[in-house]
Amino acid sequence: MENDSSHQTAAPDLDYLSLPLEVRVHGRGGQGGVTCAKLIASLYTQMGLHVQTFGDYGSERSGAPIQAFTRVDRVAIANRNKVYQPDHLIVLDEALMGPQVLSGTAPGALLLLNSRSNPESYAGLYAEYQFGVVDATAIAREHGIGSNSVVIINTTILGAYARLLGLPLSALEMAYVSLGLGGDLAAAEEAYERVQMQARAEADANPAALAPITLPAAFPPVMPTTEHCADSPAALKTGAWSTQAPRYREQSAPCNFACPAGNDVRGFIQALKNDGAEAAAAVLLRTQPLPSVCGRVCPAPCMQACNREAFDGAVNIRSLERWIADHSALELVQQTATQRLRFAVVGGGPAGLSTAYQLTLRGHAVTIYEAGPALGGVLRNGIPAFRLPQEVLQRDLERILRLGVEARFNIRLDKAGLLRLQSEHDALIVCTGFGPPLGLAVDGAGLAGVEQGLDFLDRAKRNKVELQGHVVIVGGGNTAIDCARTALRCGAASVKLVYRRGREEMPAIAEEVESAELEGVRLLLHRQPVAFTGNGAVSALLVAEVEPGSPDESGRRRPVVTQRTASLACDKVLLALGQSSAMDFLPDTWQVREGRAWQGDQALNVWFAGDCASGEGTVTHAIGNGRRMALAALARLTDTPGEALREAESPVAAGQIRFSHFEVAPPHRDKELPPSARRGSFAESSLGLAGPEEADRCFSCGQCTECDTCLIYCPDGVISRSADGYRIDADYCKGCGMCVAECPRSAMEMYEKNRQEVSSCR
Amino acid sequence: MSLKLLSANHGAALAATLAARANRTGRGFCSGVYPITPSTECMEYLCLQEIEKGRVVKVESEHSAMGVCIGAAAAGARTFTATSSNGLAYMAENCIAAAFMRLPVVLAVANRTLGPPWNIWADHGDSLLLRDQGLIQFYCADNQELFDTVLCAFRLAEDASVMMPAMVCMDGFILSHTVAQTDIPEQAQVDSFLPLTAVPHRLGDMPHTLGQIEVPHQTEVHRHQHHAAILGATRVYAGIQDEFEQIFGRRLTDAVVAYRAEDAETLIVSMGTIGATAERVVDLLRAQGQKVGSLRVRMFRPLPVEEIRECFAGKQRIAVIDRDISLGFGGVLWGEVRSLADPGAVVQSYMAGLGGGDVRPEHIVRMLADLLPRKLARRPTMMEAV
Repeated sequence: MENDSSHQTAAPDLDYLSLPLEVRVHGRGGQGGVTCAKLIASLYTQMGLHVQTFGDYGSERSGAPIQAFTRVDRVAIANRNKVYQPDHLIVLDEALMGPQVLSGTAPGALLLLNSRSNPESYAGLYAEYQFGVVDATAIAREHGIGSNSVVIINTTILGAYARLLGLPLSALEMAYVSLGLGGDLAAAEEAYERVQMQARAEADANPAALAPITLPAAFPPVMPTTEHCADSPAALKTGAWSTQAPRYREQSAPCNFACPAGNDVRGFIQALKNDGAEAAAAVLLRTQPLPSVCGRVCPAPCMQACNREAFDGAVNIRSLERWIADHSALELVQQTATQRLRFAVVGGGPAGLSTAYQLTLRGHAVTIYEAGPALGGVLRNGIPAFRLPQEVLQRDLERILRLGVEARFNIRLDKAGLLRLQSEHDALIVCTGFGPPLGLAVDGAGLAGVEQGLDFLDRAKRNKVELQGHVVIVGGGNTAIDCARTALRCGAASVKLVYRRGREEMPAIAEEVESAELEGVRLLLHRQPVAFTGNGAVSALLVAEVEPGSPDESGRRRPVVTQRTASLACDKVLLALGQSSAMDFLPDTWQVREGRAWQGDQALNVWFAGDCASGEGTVTHAIGNGRRMALAALARLTDTPGEALREAESPVAAGQIRFSHFEVAPPHRDKELPPSARRGSFAESSLGLAGPEEADRCFSCGQCTECDTCLIYCPDGVISRSADGYRIDADYCKGCGMCVAECPRSAMEMYEKNRQEVSSCR
Repeated sequence: MSLKLLSANHGAALAATLAARANRTGRGFCSGVYPITPSTECMEYLCLQEIEKGRVVKVESEHSAMGVCIGAAAAGARTFTATSSNGLAYMAENCIAAAFMRLPVVLAVANRTLGPPWNIWADHGDSLLLRDQGLIQFYCADNQELFDTVLCAFRLAEDASVMMPAMVCMDGFILSHTVAQTDIPEQAQVDSFLPLTAVPHRLGDMPHTLGQIEVPHQTEVHRHQHHAAILGATRVYAGIQDEFEQIFGRRLTDAVVAYRAEDAETLIVSMGTIGATAERVVDLLRAQGQKVGSLRVRMFRPLPVEEIRECFAGKQRIAVIDRDISLGFGGVLWGEVRSLADPGAVVQSYMAGLGGGDVRPEHIVRMLADLLPRKLARRPTMMEAV
């Protein structure tokens, strides 16, 4: 806005402007009406004209009807009062339209209205005006101009104003840029294109024909101050002013969204906080039967998704689950099914347990057929006791058995066995997990001392295993870390872990990797074994350096093995490279499609759950998958709707949380055994949380906690507590959106009153 | 020079910023600030500026805001703050302290009526509280004038012969929030217009007390000195006007602004933005053949008595419009100027626009219609201008 003639539109043909010109903008507090008038002033400044612009400020705050004015002239503007006879009238909110808004306008005045309706719906109205209609709200919303509570349309509607005036769109550009609103030009451009104009009826366009303005002869009486002690607006139902209103609405929480087991994470944390461990256990046990296990060994995608991470550290959700499991003794009671079905579940690992639990809970008869001597699968023979003590696992297993699940052990089913089970039950659910572990096809892989990590873990769990010398683990997942930490406890002199990618890419739980290092495990990253050497027994392995190559479909960079190698002396190698998914035990006539067995075109009452079906590889995934398959099978068998699919709606993002409403409180960490006390001991290394206070850190994203913030921030005091939360007095709610903007946890939204649609920018 | 679209609040803060920077080679700048509608935008804008050797201190009250300015001015810094309404009332004790300690603080006031009952809009009741306490007072009518007057206020307040606080008043919202083109000078021009702040009695290496106890005789003499100094400000102002014109190439508005007054039979006298609207009415009525003129009192303390008397000479009817009321008396400006008219002249007090009522040309026309047939003034009259 330099006073440099090169910056001004060269004195344009202003004949169509009758100067002095007065513009009046009608809107609501918060819509940007004052800025709208300012932009108009800026626009005319670019033409080298004198301007004066001001708002009619009230004390009513957001949502109240406001006016703003701009005067334009060729000479400096002297008078300092409001605009009573506008030449241009811009109405930002259609609900305001009425005689008061139109007052003082002369025939031929420009009238620009923000509305969804098209000009035909105003047939007969405003005929003598130069009338234009544009849905600036929709355009501004599409362009994301505004906040989570209100859409701001001032910059958009001026595109339509320029069109009505016959100004080129470029005239707006300087004005917007000078006020730092250049980003809104695209929306203005769209309004310029989309505004609909009505031809003006020929009328007496002489403003002098108007009756002269007269002042009222008498003013309404005013009560003396001594009596003027009630809020006068109480009689004025200001709720009628609004076109949008706030409402409470639960939104998906990122932790719930991320939980592979489908746990109501927010729900159990809030239950723990408000009603204690038993109440929290009731929420947890609805979706999963192994909280003691998951509270220890889950990779906790919920914590990676937690919005608190962007503030002061994610809520320690895994350990809260452990706290609940360790401090509650809740038993669920079997329900009575209208039609008791008989299920056979093949495999007693996490998926099988989850499947059996959900079906039994609902009143059905379930028998687990387990190949091994006990329930638990990988939990029993794969996860070391220092992470998951046997008695902890036993606690969860016994609760499942007490519910009425029957278990038969040492039954390894072959093809004929499966067919027999299928014929004896209403349905069969196969949860056999992964197949055998993967090997490494390199020279010397058959040498003594090269062992599968899972076999080693199983041995170590059953009996005392003693190791000597240097141990090398190959792999980067949880099994690899478990092997490494177990090897240390079995007496290894040193333990090195060889992994072909970087630390960040290790699939193992980050805290477990940290624990392993703390205990003395050395990581050798970007290395790949290319040969084992030794005379009968392994004595060294040759590792090649690996460089990160181009990214694969998952975005991870492909490892490229180089020729640069080094020899690593060792006495023992444990392979932890993942497992195959073999399904060769199925009858030859069965085909597996969509998690189900088919015989030709006929779907059999045989479902697959857990790693044998999904290969997702964690206990939590297996639990979720087990439950979902069980309920899908049940729905099919009883012809009822299954479990509702997870909402497609995206969860509350960190940007939707009002961090300023929360105090910084770093996470409560687990107590840990000191590393010196861990060597040689299979005692649980993590001691969990000291108390349940970590639950207080939960933001409760997307779900009202009755924190009263809305009630406190409502400028009109129209929110009050009710039996089930809050009540908003629609008679007086002006739709300012302050409660929505201030809600700390995004549990409110604005909606359009006449359409019930969400109206805010998300 | 560059033209900027600025609100008067922002203009005041920008003028203060330029003045602050002009003292960078001296003892710097300091401002204590506390927000209150409608002056909040002024302090907000000031807080956003980068000022070399300058500090804006956010405090917990207006009283402390002026306290910061007093401390800084006593240490020789250039000082500025802004407030309104009950904020000014709360600041008043320290405003008086600044005045009586002869510290050249510049104070922008966005005029707002006093409460309760609460009302955020304009009248002059707040700044007139401090009428008698030895602070210079200006009332402005447009954005440019307000900007120029804030710059000039530093020069005047810091003049060795004046050395006292200066208040620059703008009608809340009507001017404070109105955006218009404002001509902004270059820093170099401001540097040459404003010499480095020099407070002769500032605290330095030798500890001493400011505002210590004194006996009646000392107070009499100090009041007399203060009175003489503020009266002299009119003459100093005239000198500043000349220099302002040389440096900035435009005339700094006179202490009183006469508009088509010379041959007028009837005169409209006012302060602040009503004066601008009155000039529009003069044009309107002149076009209808009425010999009307306007006199806008811009400098209210010291009151330019001679200039007003000169303008009043020969006028038979004078309407004095006050955007204030001295309860139990009438318009404050009316009370001050009624004795300056010719004997026998009708000087009528009209009060309008209290608590922000919108004084429109129609209201002024009606006042004149009331005045013209009068042979004698009647009691002060109030007009509702909602």
